Amino acid sequence: MELEQEILVPPARVERPSPRPVKIIRPPSFSPAVLFSGLSELIWYRDLLYTLTLHRIRVRYKQSALGLGWALVQPLAMMLVYTIIFSIFARFPSKGVPYSLFVLCGILPWNFFQTALSSSATGLVSHTSLITKVYFPREILPFSYVMAAFFDFLVACVILIAMMAWYHVGLTVQVLYIIPILAVEVTFISGVGLLFSAFQVRFRDIGIAMPLVLQLWMFCAPVVYSYSDVPKRFRPLYMLDPMVGIVENFRRVVIQGWGVDLHLLGVSAVVAIIILPLGYMYFKHREATMADVI
Amino acid sequence: MTALQFESVSKRYRIRSGSESQESGFARRLRRTRTHKADFWALQNVNFEVQQGESLGIIGHNGAGKSTVLKLLSNISTPTKGQITINGRISALLEVGSGFHPELTGLENVYLSGSILGMRRAEITSKLESIIEFAGVRPFIDIPVKRFSSGMFVRLGFSIAAHLDPDILLLDEVLAVGDYAFQEKCKQRIAEMHRNGTTMVFISHDLNAVRSVCQRVLLLQRGEVIAEGLPDDVIRRYTETAAFHQRPQITDERRVAEVTSVKFYDSLGNRTNGFRTGDAVSVTIGYRVRRHIPQGSISLYFLNSEGGIAAQWTTSLSGRPINMLVGAGSVEFTCDELGLQPGVYQIDATIEKNGTAEEYEWQHACASIHVDAAKTRGAFYMPHSWRETSEDSVSFLESLAHTE
Repeated sequence: MELEQEILVPPARVERPSPRPVKIIRPPSFSPAVLFSGLSELIWYRDLLYTLTLHRIRVRYKQSALGLGWALVQPLAMMLVYTIIFSIFARFPSKGVPYSLFVLCGILPWNFFQTALSSSATGLVSHTSLITKVYFPREILPFSYVMAAFFDFLVACVILIAMMAWYHVGLTVQVLYIIPILAVEVTFISGVGLLFSAFQVRFRDIGIAMPLVLQLWMFCAPVVYSYSDVPKRFRPLYMLDPMVGIVENFRRVVIQGWGVDLHLLGVSAVVAIIILPLGYMYFKHREATMADVI
Repeated sequence: MTALQFESVSKRYRIRSGSESQESGFARRLRRTRTHKADFWALQNVNFEVQQGESLGIIGHNGAGKSTVLKLLSNISTPTKGQITINGRISALLEVGSGFHPELTGLENVYLSGSILGMRRAEITSKLESIIEFAGVRPFIDIPVKRFSSGMFVRLGFSIAAHLDPDILLLDEVLAVGDYAFQEKCKQRIAEMHRNGTTMVFISHDLNAVRSVCQRVLLLQRGEVIAEGLPDDVIRRYTETAAFHQRPQITDERRVAEVTSVKFYDSLGNRTNGFRTGDAVSVTIGYRVRRHIPQGSISLYFLNSEGGIAAQWTTSLSGRPINMLVGAGSVEFTCDELGLQPGVYQIDATIEKNGTAEEYEWQHACASIHVDAAKTRGAFYMPHSWRETSEDSVSFLESLAHTE
């Protein structure tokens, strides 16, 4: 059958619209110059980031009956468990809103962080065959996991909106602050994701320790309790964790209708902005020999 | 204009002894034990240039550094020393189906794989029809590729890669994909790209393909460029490099005999390492024996580029066992029609106790030959004859039927 097919050879394109890029490959060095060269390359490969993100979202729910519903089930289940534990058994204060809504507002930004970080940290190692065969800026792999987790976060926000309607909690204009809050969160996750995924290539311990670290980290962030429940003397140290400013402020602006705590958010932003370029430089430095080590 | 340039490029690999997967370097550092690191220089001070529109072949035995050159060129890895300059968009046809995900449909995979190989989405959309047409998978484009046959999978993978339109194309052994008709299509496509000015770097064991595609050839040996020039000259040099370096495979106490020479001759009695399929070949093997072997046998193995045994010649099939007295001796093998198809074959020579697997000598890769341009296709050449028959004569099958 195949042999009888007519051999069709499509014409190869002759004209070349873009100028020839000149690429110089040198031994790896640790320098801030990669911030610029890496970024311009990343812009050239932006379609790959988009395609890979789309791919993650599609693949995750392929051949599962519930499909996208899984993005809702996980935060809902966590909300139920924490509500039973901390509102019926332990009676945590929830600052004037139903505890289930209070805790859901912590779970959503936290889950985004947790999913993005754990999947991006192991993202390079699960693409070994790709990394040893094709070149593309490797940071696209962890970034695509961050983007896919962000998509899941947006889907899960449907529950939040439904719950707010159920409890008659209205949105105020303060909700616009979620844009800078989420921007800080994405920046922070990207920086840590780059660091962890580059470590993971050499030391697989990262992937193994990740669930434990994230579990402990969650209870160190104001997810099931409020920032104001933390004793004052611990706060200067406590607020250095960028997730504190992110989770606390997310809840403040969405359901409590309070203004943003600029001090807290500022600390988160500074830490995130320091970590991202450092993480990127380290990642690019390791990238050069990644295919040999992985 | 120079399309690409290697300037004093060296590449070092660190080989850690011990089981790396069991214990990480970090854990060892905690225990304050020094790991023993051995350096392996896969490439040493390699310099070459490829002009725009030129096609360069790189050949060498296994482990010579060919795949390291490919990895560096495609930027999968970086050099330890030196600098590589690439002028233009480079694409590697190394592994077809890179980045395919089994759960995604053919169409989704075209976008995924195309993006990974460096195409923009708009570019893929504009070439989509042509990609599907070339692969010949149109009826199946909307089903997950895990339900594809392996042939369809490979054809779609190659088709995407063949639509990259790079300035520089890196080719591995990819020409051996799919069925025969598809291979012809791939070759036409590559030839057309070359006519349109695409620079080619072709890394292969297939010397005939190298000879037909490349204008210039580099020969790598142990990480260094040892020859460069016209394909015929370099290929001849290549088959001579494996001339005779002592690489015994068995321990000294068992090794009571030694193969001292392996020489190939053509039908006119001239020494050569190049043959054509169907040629008459003779080989003389010289040996020296330290202890009397009353019943010995000698074998020659022809190893293909993957290291598998393509054929064996042995004295144990016919005649008497050889009575090997202490001192030197030699045997001659002859073959009327060489059945090997084109390629490079490494030769192993062994001396054994006749009829057993007890080896007195095993020389690995002590010679190599290259076989060129077959007159026939197929996995091997079968000597055959034919005659014209008249219509009324009884055919072979019919005569069989009558005798029953």
